[in-house]
Amino acid sequence: MAGFILRRLLLLIPILLGVSILMFVIIRMAPGDPAVAYLKLSNIPPTPGAVAEARQTLGLDQPILAQYVSWISSAVRGDFGVSYVTRRPVLDDILYYLPATLQLAGLALLFTLVVSVPLGIWSARYKDRWPDHLVRGFAFLGVSTPNFWLGFLLVLLFSLTLKWLPPMGKGGWQHMILPVLAVSFMSLAINARLLRASMLETASARHVLYARLRGLSDRQVERSHILRNALLPIVTATGMHVGELLGGTLVIESVFGWPGIGRYAVSAIYSRDFPVIQCFTLFLVTIFVICNLVVDIVYAWLDPRIRLNAEAAI
Amino acid sequence: MRGVLVGVLLGIAAACVPISGVVAQTLNFSWPSNVGPLHPHGYAPNQMFAQGMVYESLVKYQADGTVAPWLATSWAASEDGRTYTFKLRDGVTFSNGEPFNAAAVVANLERVIANRKSHDWLELIHQLQTVTALDDLTVELQLKDAYYPLLQELALVRPVRFLAPSQFPAPGTTEPGISAPIGTGPWKHVETRLGEYDVFERNDTYWGDKPAYQKVVVKVIADSNTRAVALETGDIDLIYGDEGPITPDTFARLKAQGYQAEISPPLGTQVLALNTNKAPTNELAVRQAINHAVDKDTLIAAIYHGTQTRADTLFAPTAPYSNVGLKPYGYDPALAANALDKAGWTRAPGAAFRSKDGQPLQVELAYVGTDAVMKSMAEVLQADLAKVGIEVRLLGEEANSFYARQTDGNFGMIFGNTWGAPYDPHAFVSSMRVPSHADYQAQLGLADKAEIDARIGQALTSTDEAQRQELYRSVLTTLHDEAVYLPLTFSTAILVARDNVGNLTFGATQFDYPFAALKPKD
Repeated sequence: MAGFILRRLLLLIPILLGVSILMFVIIRMAPGDPAVAYLKLSNIPPTPGAVAEARQTLGLDQPILAQYVSWISSAVRGDFGVSYVTRRPVLDDILYYLPATLQLAGLALLFTLVVSVPLGIWSARYKDRWPDHLVRGFAFLGVSTPNFWLGFLLVLLFSLTLKWLPPMGKGGWQHMILPVLAVSFMSLAINARLLRASMLETASARHVLYARLRGLSDRQVERSHILRNALLPIVTATGMHVGELLGGTLVIESVFGWPGIGRYAVSAIYSRDFPVIQCFTLFLVTIFVICNLVVDIVYAWLDPRIRLNAEAAI
Repeated sequence: MRGVLVGVLLGIAAACVPISGVVAQTLNFSWPSNVGPLHPHGYAPNQMFAQGMVYESLVKYQADGTVAPWLATSWAASEDGRTYTFKLRDGVTFSNGEPFNAAAVVANLERVIANRKSHDWLELIHQLQTVTALDDLTVELQLKDAYYPLLQELALVRPVRFLAPSQFPAPGTTEPGISAPIGTGPWKHVETRLGEYDVFERNDTYWGDKPAYQKVVVKVIADSNTRAVALETGDIDLIYGDEGPITPDTFARLKAQGYQAEISPPLGTQVLALNTNKAPTNELAVRQAINHAVDKDTLIAAIYHGTQTRADTLFAPTAPYSNVGLKPYGYDPALAANALDKAGWTRAPGAAFRSKDGQPLQVELAYVGTDAVMKSMAEVLQADLAKVGIEVRLLGEEANSFYARQTDGNFGMIFGNTWGAPYDPHAFVSSMRVPSHADYQAQLGLADKAEIDARIGQALTSTDEAQRQELYRSVLTTLHDEAVYLPLTFSTAILVARDNVGNLTFGATQFDYPFAALKPKD
């Protein structure tokens, strides 16, 4: 198992290298000149002289290969350069804004799991009756509602009309409720629907039939024989939700004025702040890879068949 | 299971405690980013509105286009227009108690001159040769050539304002930063929380009228809808600015809800540059027809909800040297159609658009696709021009590609803005001579482009007021008669405030934020 984890972690190195090259090239191929964007932010008319000066200051006058080599050699030492816009080290900025985002995404993940699992069970238990229709309707709404739009609707209801919750900013736990609801709604809906489907599928499996024949109660069958087996897809989905929720915060943080890396990254994209985009992308890739790894490990732990197969293969 | 749901609902209900009201004496404002380290001569991430709160200039630009004494009480220019002597205000101190004197002016301006390359865009810095302290309160500026807009440009927020000299890094160090943003202005910057807010406090040793508010808190809000909501819930008291702090329809909605909502006098002009160097706008008749075909009043009512006013000339007549009696083209689609017919652009029976010699009358209009207001404008213009038989192809792109088109001239028509006070008209016409500007590109097809550029150069260096006015008249008249621009609207700053903010007023330029003049009320 330790060897498995180690090998997967080592795989992260070529993945990050590949991604860094791809991304480095792609963001430079995209239209738009960071030097011009910087001048616009500074209210300086982009005269050729000013653009040349800005390009030199930002290190963009070098050939792309030289830029990459210089960037990657600093990056492996933990120096991701200085933001074109804030003029602060990118890593410092990202680490500064990260806790707020983790707080939001972590709570959203918790909320997703705590609500979606009971909803899925409830829906499967009352298949084709009103609780099931309710949950399925809710799931349908969830996957089709853009999170920023939901964010504004929540603000309209809870902040403007009812005046119960603050519309923006970071403060007490009240400030977290609306953003967490907005960002987790989709993952929550997907999860509930997925668990329902998975439970219904497992319920028609033969071992469940035998369990019922043995005279076990409905609750016992549900808990020990259906739910445990039906949870596997949820584990995979949860791994993906981490990425989804972090991606969701990109937009939601702007809507709720939440001081996290999402809003920081969005403004970096608008202003072509290459060092920030580069560092942020690598950061997200790392998170995705690690989440996948954790999912695989949890899988092996949950399902002896996978664990034993994997060990047999070694 | 039900217990969980009930628990969640209870949790939400418990969270719903009422939000506390606004503390008096504090003005809550918002801005898309933090204000930055507030280096007086620095650009992004230093925010101009905040630099303007902390630092002051020698002279102050006023709403009527004239320049008033500020940290300098009087000044005199030499006969040849190359030497200016400024008498400084006595008794002014920086907020840390340091005296503001000739040595402080020299210390600041010498750094600006030494760092000339970063300020390359500003003609004043090109012109500035030496700064000398004649005595404790007298400073002499030596220029390369006569340059009359010196005073207007000295009023700018950056890079010609003054930091307490003790806050500069020690001589010989390469550190570009400053120790602390200490200025002479009415406000002191006292706290920054990245991504959350900045706090300014009243400078109690300020030499002029002290602000009525004790504090200004600037919250970081990037999204304009969120900003509007924050005003409605009382998280901020004031929305102010010229670059769309909220959308026009939000402005109209807040006004209808009873908030104090006002627009400033013209600050700059929003225009379309018509490319004289590219068919079919290389024909005067087509450019004139475009000018007659657009119903600006309807456009302003529909899109701007009255937040801008109609522009018929490149510069508002209230801008310096710009009241030169130009005759507006006026909305007259019949006249436009007639002119196009005469120029040979005719409509085949049943055709929606005109053509000449098999060439369709088709113009590309470049705009920023993500800018909802610009997009609506482009669509209205497309519809108006279609009525007279001109086909407009909309070219919505992201901002950086759009700016690239301004620079390389690859457009038929393109949105643009004059720079506004205090740059209009001198700095804007000056940039018309530079190839990387949409204006230069758009004017390239004019037969007398070289002559126009020469006259602009003369106007900027002339020391004779009457001659300068005559040169401006000639340049502005030529551009107007050649219909190089379709002036659309005069841009304004908007202001929306809650009832607890009084004495509402506008700054003289787009960069002056009038926090010091605002007063709290019950």
